[in-house]
Amino acid sequence: MNTTSRTATQLPANPRHIPYPLGLHGTTGNAVIGFDLVSKRYEGDHQALTDVSFRVDAGEMAFVTGHSGAGKSTLLKLLAMIERPTNGVVTLDGQKLNTVRAHDIPRLRRKLGMVFQDHRLLLDRSVFGNVELPLVIAGVAPSERSRRVRAALEKVGLLSYEKQLPSALSTGEQQRVGIARAIVAKPAVLIADEPTGNLDPQLAMEIMSLFAEFQQVGTAVLVASHDLMLIKRMKKRVVVLDHGKLVADVPATEVQ
Amino acid sequence: MNTVREPRRAAEPEKTRRSEPHKVGAWREHHAWSLSISLRRLRARPLGTLLTVAVMGVALALPLAFYLLLGNVERMGDALGRNQAISVFMKPGQNAGMADTAASALRGRPEVADITVRTPKDGLDELAEVQGFSGALQSLDANPLPFVLSVQPKPGLSADDVARLVDAMKNTPGVDMVQDTGAWRQRLDALLGVGTRAVTLLAGLLGMAALLVVGNTIRVDILSRAEEIGVLLLIGASKPFVRRPYLYTGVWLGFLAGVLAVALAVLLELSMVGPVSRLAAAYDGSVSFGGLPAWLLVSVPFAAALLGWLGARLVSARQIRRMAAA
Repeated sequence: MNTTSRTATQLPANPRHIPYPLGLHGTTGNAVIGFDLVSKRYEGDHQALTDVSFRVDAGEMAFVTGHSGAGKSTLLKLLAMIERPTNGVVTLDGQKLNTVRAHDIPRLRRKLGMVFQDHRLLLDRSVFGNVELPLVIAGVAPSERSRRVRAALEKVGLLSYEKQLPSALSTGEQQRVGIARAIVAKPAVLIADEPTGNLDPQLAMEIMSLFAEFQQVGTAVLVASHDLMLIKRMKKRVVVLDHGKLVADVPATEVQ
Repeated sequence: MNTVREPRRAAEPEKTRRSEPHKVGAWREHHAWSLSISLRRLRARPLGTLLTVAVMGVALALPLAFYLLLGNVERMGDALGRNQAISVFMKPGQNAGMADTAASALRGRPEVADITVRTPKDGLDELAEVQGFSGALQSLDANPLPFVLSVQPKPGLSADDVARLVDAMKNTPGVDMVQDTGAWRQRLDALLGVGTRAVTLLAGLLGMAALLVVGNTIRVDILSRAEEIGVLLLIGASKPFVRRPYLYTGVWLGFLAGVLAVALAVLLELSMVGPVSRLAAAYDGSVSFGGLPAWLLVSVPFAAALLGWLGARLVSARQIRRMAAA
């Protein structure tokens, strides 16, 4: 899939101006996320996305940003198969999601690791119990589950908390449990919707650094965030949405 | 400006196209996990579990109790009616040859199992054994009793068959009167038939009540775990995977209720042994108490487990489908 080439542009007047040059960035690698002229119109005639095209390669990390209602969450919902596009093609690891049968959705969702702003941890299960869920769903044997859950918890620095209930953890720790759950089954794609929305700047930076580590092991990482300061500090590719339209696609090297 | 980067391989996701042995292993893991989760959930709310099991258990014990009662009434009827022969009184003045001729004619009928010819002397001897009669009999000039044919019908005859046999006896030459003392048994059989039908219907209704109790328990459980179900579906769980722990919960609730129902029925049996023994003594031991058959006691918990599974299946399929669509 080829991405459209555009010249550098500016966001329309908005309190959240992107303070760096904007331009469309076309990737040439091994794309695992693809949006090709994707539009989404909700019932009630609300146009959430209009002709959005971009792709994310394996081992690439990209931010999706824009003001509230710009279409960030809709974009992630399309990727998670919670919504279907009105027009265009969404692909995940080479599979077109537009025509996927309901029966196949669980199998495809196992290729995704999802991190939510509110963690969505199961409060009656231990940290270990939460993190092992994707492996249970995948039918992994208990001994292997145990090994991989501990590896994931170690990765996010929470191995010593494995027997704790989520309610005993701080917000930042809960978010890290959510990340461990998202990566434990080694998904091809990691998506996160405002994962640092409830965290202080230092914790937010730590969480983002974790995402960057997964990028380095070949996972495609797509993070929706409106925290421009954080995005700038991460120096990763930025896809900018405005009123449902992709208005800029800034490569990592141009983020200032 | 585009950056030039080395194309990189996507991270290796969990295998989604599985081999057969892996599928079997995954299936086994899913069931083991669902089983343990369902037990954990039941343990987590002991009072709720206890109440559900108690309601279902009592509902299932009631038909068992009625079944026990009917079975014993039937046994009693069998015991008391076992020797109820039809008495055929010959006309006064008939001799032994005439009684034998009548007996031979009746022996040829398919409804008859056996015929005993009782002479007037046999009848007088029997009366003499009855306390208080011996003095009165000694004062008689002649034996006033007729020949009597004691006809034993074949077991299992219908009321119509017996009525036909009685008509045939009445029309036999030399017969004065026919006394069918087994008619009460036919009425009892008819009553037992009504009772059996009523118990069957009751068992059906109470079984349905047990199913609804499980269904409602599972429905409430699913609604209280809506958020959890949403998360599981989002991270790739299939609907059968999400449903499975609830099915196991239904099976456990049904099985435990079945065990409770059997325990209650056995308690009932034990409490009836004393009164029935006293009744048996009053009938010279011809009446005995019969408990519920072993096959029934063993099968009730499994049938109840099946009922629990069905209730959970019907409710969970609908609820989870709704949640997945939302």
